[in-house]
Amino acid sequence: MSKVLLELKDICKAYQDGSEKRLILENISLSVEAGEFAAVVGPSGSGKSTLLSVAGLLLTPDSGSILIAGKDVTSASKRERTGIRRRQIGFVFQNHNLLPFLKTEDQLSFVQDRGVKDKSKIDELLRELGIESCRSSYPAKMSGGERQRTAIARAFINDPDIILADEPTASLDAERGRAVAEMIKAEVKKRNKAAIMVTHDTRILDLTDKVYRIEDRRLVAEQ
Amino acid sequence: MRYALKEIAFEKKKYILIELLLILLMFMVLFLSGLASGLGRAVTSAIETMDADSFVVDESAEKMITVSKVETGLLDELRAKGVEAAPLDIHRMHIRKQDDDEKLNITYFAIEAGSFIEPEVIEGKGLSHSDGEATILLDDDFRVEGISVGDKVVDAAAGTEFTVAGFVKDRMYGHTSVGYITTDSYTKLRQALSPMYVPEYHAIAVKGDKDLGLDPDILESVSKKEIIKNIPSYTAENMTITMIVWVLVIISAVIIGIFNYIMTLQKRRQFGVMKAIGLSGGELAGMLICEVCIVSVFAGIVSLGLTFGMAAAMPEKMPFYLEVSNAVTVTAAFVVISVLSSLLSVINISRIDPIIAIGGGDNE
Ligand SMILES: Nc1ncnc2c1ncn2[C@@H]1O[C@H](COP(=O)(O)OP(=O)(O)OP(=O)(O)O)[C@@H](O)[C@H]1O
Ligand SMILES: [Mg+2]
Repeated sequence: MSKVLLELKDICKAYQDGSEKRLILENISLSVEAGEFAAVVGPSGSGKSTLLSVAGLLLTPDSGSILIAGKDVTSASKRERTGIRRRQIGFVFQNHNLLPFLKTEDQLSFVQDRGVKDKSKIDELLRELGIESCRSSYPAKMSGGERQRTAIARAFINDPDIILADEPTASLDAERGRAVAEMIKAEVKKRNKAAIMVTHDTRILDLTDKVYRIEDRRLVAEQ
Repeated sequence: MRYALKEIAFEKKKYILIELLLILLMFMVLFLSGLASGLGRAVTSAIETMDADSFVVDESAEKMITVSKVETGLLDELRAKGVEAAPLDIHRMHIRKQDDDEKLNITYFAIEAGSFIEPEVIEGKGLSHSDGEATILLDDDFRVEGISVGDKVVDAAAGTEFTVAGFVKDRMYGHTSVGYITTDSYTKLRQALSPMYVPEYHAIAVKGDKDLGLDPDILESVSKKEIIKNIPSYTAENMTITMIVWVLVIISAVIIGIFNYIMTLQKRRQFGVMKAIGLSGGELAGMLICEVCIVSVFAGIVSLGLTFGMAAAMPEKMPFYLEVSNAVTVTAAFVVISVLSSLLSVINISRIDPIIAIGGGDNE
């Protein structure tokens, strides 16, 4: 059995909604192994992004614990969380969220860990994602698919343990969306990462290893 | 640093505009500060450049040479003690060219020919080179009036004639140019005006810090700095302009701060994303401060260049005097205040929650 890289245990999360608390996630548990590509689906407003934010240490759960690469990070300080996000988590957002003032290769070197200015790693990722030709382009001059592929390359640059993607294909048409999901899958398999992808697009679910659905605040595995 | 530069390069237009604004402001600051010290110099330069460390004046003169009276005997007393001392009288009068009725303001500095407070000439000869006739060394501003070495000038009130022996540079006192004459000439001039005049000195200039053994009830030794401060109107004039200069420095620096703050407000989402992907608050603050430094240092250097270029092209008589050290201080202060004022943006960034990176969100 492969190593579990991400483990959520009994996560509860509620938002303050006016005067009352609204529970969004209730006792959610989930584990993702190295080399596993999991999908999370569910209706709009069901809490998919909330779950991903908890896993990505952007939100603190009300209860439950988070383990990344076997280490409990539930009560890490703000500073530690930032470091963990930098080194152990790769994010792919719905709209690329690239920095407008950086060329593709700088997008990667910018987040690359201090000290490890490894140019060959950048070259390798650009090649694998087929965006070598965009190396010196600004995001504004690239197509949506190229931008999203750059964002994927950025997510992988620090060799993280887990990849979290929130609707990475939503801004693309079906064909390009599928190509992007395929690339995430290929990188996850090759580099042996644990990945969660939140998506609305049922047509790309066949690319994933497991599909979870959030329904009535709970997470259920689909089969 | 690298990424800060890239961001500036990407936002060229915005940054060029702000640079222009800052360069103009800083240029104004430096220019004013040049004028301020120029005006200040016009009041003090003859004292400032004098090769003396302190002045003996009478106790009741309140540190003003022009109203002080010192007996001539004191000079010999001091010299007998081995003190390097030289007599000095300062007297504001008018002179005119020999065949001209136009009166020119002058402040006589009556000194002993060859003493250590005699300035170096930039043209002609020193006071001790006279062939019996009364000589005068003039500030080079008098050249503009068409006076040259060998000409005769006349004291407008006493009618005493002086031959111009030479010119000295940058010697002003109380907004007038200085003329150096010998103590003997000065005594004669005073006696021509009032026959009752008894020779005495306004002050005695002293070099070194030997104990003078003065009677504290009658006499007082005052440092050069204190003497300059007490020249009438000097402090008041100087303070006003210095205030204006510093207010302008602060305004320019705050403009950078505000500009920066607006930029960070516009880029909230960008900062959220950077935080989400693991850039620490310190790194972001570093980048921001780096940008501010680049912008302000650049504006500072360009305006320094402009100011000194302008100063070189300015007419002689313009009271402009900017010491490099002074200008650099002002510029450095500007950079420092800019950085301080951008701390507001740093605080703003530190408050951004990286969660805004998740979800579709409104762009930018
Ligand atoms: N900061 C917040 N404060 C209060 N309520 C919030 C906050 N963020 C999200 N919510 C609510 O929590 C619920 C879940 O939001 P979430 O963004 O996780 O949904 P989602 O499944 O990602 O939806 P979508 O598919 O539309 O992206 C929504 O009903 C939303 O209104
Ligand atoms: Mg969502």
